[in-house]
Amino acid sequence: MPILSLVTFLPLAGAVLLLFLPRENKGLLYGLALAFAVGVFLLSLPLHLGFDGGTSDPQFIERSNWLGLGIEYHVGVDGLSLYLVLLTTFLMPLALLASWSYIQDRLKEYLFFMLLLETGMIGVFVSLNLFLFYVFWEAALIPMYFLIGMWGGKRRVYATTKFVLFTMAGSLLMLVAMFVLYAAFFQETGTYSFALADLLSLTVAPKLQTWLFLAFALAFAIKVPMFPFHTWLPDAHVEAPTAGSVILAAVLLKMGAYGFLRFAFPLFPDAAAKFLPVLAVLAIIGIIYGGFMALVQKDVKSLVAYSSVSHMGLIMLALFAGNAAGVQGAVIQMVNHALSTGMLFLCVGILYERAHTRLIKDFGGVSRQMPVFAAFFLIAVLSSLGLPGLNGFVGEILCLYGAFAAHKLWAILAVTTVILAAGYLLWMFRRVMHGPISNEKIRGFRDLDGREIAVLIPIVILMLWIGIHPSTFLRKMDASVAQYVNRIKGREKVFVVKPPAARVAAEEGGGTK
Amino acid sequence: MSVFPALGPLLALTAGALVVILADAFFKRDKKDHLAYLSLTAILVTGWLAVRLWGRNAEAFGGMLRFDDAAVFLTVLLLVGTAFVILLGMRYIVRQGMNDGEFYGLLLLALAGLLIMVSSGNFVAIFLGLEVLSVSSYALAGLKRGDERSTEAAVKYFLIGSFAAAFIVMGLALLFGGAGTLELAEITPAGANSPLALAGLALVLGGFAFKLALVPFQMWQPDVYEGAPTPVTAFFVVGPKAAGFAVLLRLLLPYWQSGFKREAVFAVLWAVAAATMLVASLVALRQRNVKRMLAYSSIANAGTILIAVLTSDAAGLLFYLANYLFLSIGAFGVLAALGRDGVERTNLEDFAGLGARFPWIGGLFAVFLLGLAGFPPTGGFLAKFYVFSTAVREGHAVLVLIAVLSSLISVYYYLRVVVFMYMRKPEGEEAAVDFENPPLLLVLFLCLYGVFQLGLFPSNVLALVRHAAESLF
Repeated sequence: MPILSLVTFLPLAGAVLLLFLPRENKGLLYGLALAFAVGVFLLSLPLHLGFDGGTSDPQFIERSNWLGLGIEYHVGVDGLSLYLVLLTTFLMPLALLASWSYIQDRLKEYLFFMLLLETGMIGVFVSLNLFLFYVFWEAALIPMYFLIGMWGGKRRVYATTKFVLFTMAGSLLMLVAMFVLYAAFFQETGTYSFALADLLSLTVAPKLQTWLFLAFALAFAIKVPMFPFHTWLPDAHVEAPTAGSVILAAVLLKMGAYGFLRFAFPLFPDAAAKFLPVLAVLAIIGIIYGGFMALVQKDVKSLVAYSSVSHMGLIMLALFAGNAAGVQGAVIQMVNHALSTGMLFLCVGILYERAHTRLIKDFGGVSRQMPVFAAFFLIAVLSSLGLPGLNGFVGEILCLYGAFAAHKLWAILAVTTVILAAGYLLWMFRRVMHGPISNEKIRGFRDLDGREIAVLIPIVILMLWIGIHPSTFLRKMDASVAQYVNRIKGREKVFVVKPPAARVAAEEGGGTK
Repeated sequence: MSVFPALGPLLALTAGALVVILADAFFKRDKKDHLAYLSLTAILVTGWLAVRLWGRNAEAFGGMLRFDDAAVFLTVLLLVGTAFVILLGMRYIVRQGMNDGEFYGLLLLALAGLLIMVSSGNFVAIFLGLEVLSVSSYALAGLKRGDERSTEAAVKYFLIGSFAAAFIVMGLALLFGGAGTLELAEITPAGANSPLALAGLALVLGGFAFKLALVPFQMWQPDVYEGAPTPVTAFFVVGPKAAGFAVLLRLLLPYWQSGFKREAVFAVLWAVAAATMLVASLVALRQRNVKRMLAYSSIANAGTILIAVLTSDAAGLLFYLANYLFLSIGAFGVLAALGRDGVERTNLEDFAGLGARFPWIGGLFAVFLLGLAGFPPTGGFLAKFYVFSTAVREGHAVLVLIAVLSSLISVYYYLRVVVFMYMRKPEGEEAAVDFENPPLLLVLFLCLYGVFQLGLFPSNVLALVRHAAESLF
């Protein structure tokens, strides 16, 4: 069964089907979209179960000619992309479920774009052909553009236009770099190919490598986003509807980090090594700057948005460390960040639906009125700041360990993320949830209903699972991570941390809670 | 060898045009639709005769008319485009009070001019085709007689067009003097490198730059495109541009070979391409009228097509033209449906809330605009992809960077229309829209089909295009 193609294109089929249903029947539209999203998730489970963690080769491969001259339909997953695919299929039904009360206007278009977005995002993570990757990369941009622009807040047009132009600026340069790479491969071998495996075998001249690496790195750095390309992110997050923010933070940002992991570093290892110090400094600036910016935000949603900048900084730093612990930490932390930040945005959305404001000063004592919500919100906060026993700790410890092994100073500076996160998150939590009820409107808040609990419960379960038994997931990554590390470090003769050691470290982390 | 196979399509088309013009006198005002059906029949017959020439390299009049496969491909493309324009116009000309039947006859004559241009390797014939096209086009632009802007468009087009024609004729005279032949295939390096022939080439290129509205000769085009009736504008965007670039490619192919003075010609056209893309995109940013914005976008696209000419990428050029046909006829088709009773509503504000009021039409327009902006998975992306990738392979990465920058700018102005359609509430009176227009809807859906067919599964068309391109070399 072509399982990857089904997982990738089933949402698209659902989206097209939606177009032909009457827009008055909201229940039908909604039910159908949800059924497709859940179906895609169930279909994607065999990817985890059937995945062989013992090999670094891509699995579930499908490959056929598409346009000729090296442009093929070529998909597969390996240990680096597996969990990003599963993350997407896992979060999409939850995001749809969370939208039910929020989105009333133009529901048909909303569901259409959400499903379209899912196809785009999964496509990005499974493509093994650069052309195919670029098509999905750009195609994922359009639905998000509409989601922010049509259902966003007051400044939505500004935010969404900025989002598109920033991303396009980077990706068009990347496209030119792809052409150059394609031409270089043709010159070298006399055949045309966009296949990643073919292009990896090419040794690009150092000077050219520098340019190509910069073009790729810029596209991905904007998407992550790394300081100083992050300015679109707070705007987009604040204006986006709740589910849009969840998907943006949880999956779209990961496309940038994944791009570094899959393309920019392995394709241009020499240039990457040259620019590593600069990139690491930018990542560290992002960590500290994002944290301080989060401290001073008045709006809960922009606080979470800036915390994303900080957390993504740590993920990038661990990636740049380039050792097994760091890379493994970065991948698992991408999943963790998706869960914790996604859940934080869901919680902010729940608050906003009741209060129609997101300013911290308008809240106070909410936990008296909404005790169940308070518990979930606290779990999200604790997961985000890396409490042992929850998922965030496993990822952060691996990331910091990786950074430490590469460069002690990096790790020392990066540790501030933990301190700052504890600061801004707990302070925010105290002001919003605790204390006396400051605003009479709060007395009218109702606690979570069954649907809202159903959205949050699966995320909590997964957080605990990763927190307590991360090796379920880490084990499947080992071979791919080791192969990746060998590839980018191969030319430098640097000591490679063996994957099993990383796993032991992680399990210790999980056990000492 | 009989002249008839090669002459067939032209004969059928011209006969059709004359029949339509004559028949006009016999139909009452409310029966003018029959003229449309007659014209479509003529186009079908012409198409059938043209397709039969595929792979046969038919000639007539000692090579004055030569249907190589590239010519056949372009002919079919132009026939499809004109058929679309006729369907777009059927209701439009009734609504705008210009239902006089000349529309169809003039379109067919203009089309005949286009066919001569694309199917000849001789400059006398090419010039003949160009003039047949131009004279019909001047009349077409002014067809909306009650409208000042339409008349202004016609006069402007006529003046600039004649001016450019004079340049081309003068250039041809010099070229003939220097090279000793007007048969493109017979031009030799020695002849072409003489100062006289180079001066002639410069004049000819200048004339074509006027006709194709390349910077710095683009000023007239937005006025003409804005003033002309919308279906006619759609024809201008697709027909003359396609034929003009095909001629330019045929003319310049020998010059890219060794022995010719390549560098100077190349450098000038390189600069023209870069300036055309950048200037047009920047000016388009400031337009508040969507029709005018699309006019500038067509100039920017002309700059991109020029890249394909510069790199002798015939396959890329043909594929680009095919995609551009569906995208721009689709976009102008939506414009043709806005407004009624002699008034066009094409300001940005008129699009506010269109996506909510007419979800299908809004969605189609969004697809066409995103396609023009070059987003996958539309054909607009693949078209640019092939042209750019060939250019990079030929070592013109800088030009591609400029093209990409201009694309980025274009994303902004295309998306601004989308913003108005989907993200703004209408203010004041909502623009009247007439979508109970079956022929127009048919065209829009065919264009949508074309956009995605060429974007997702273009293998067949790519094979045709590559085969056709080989016939040029």
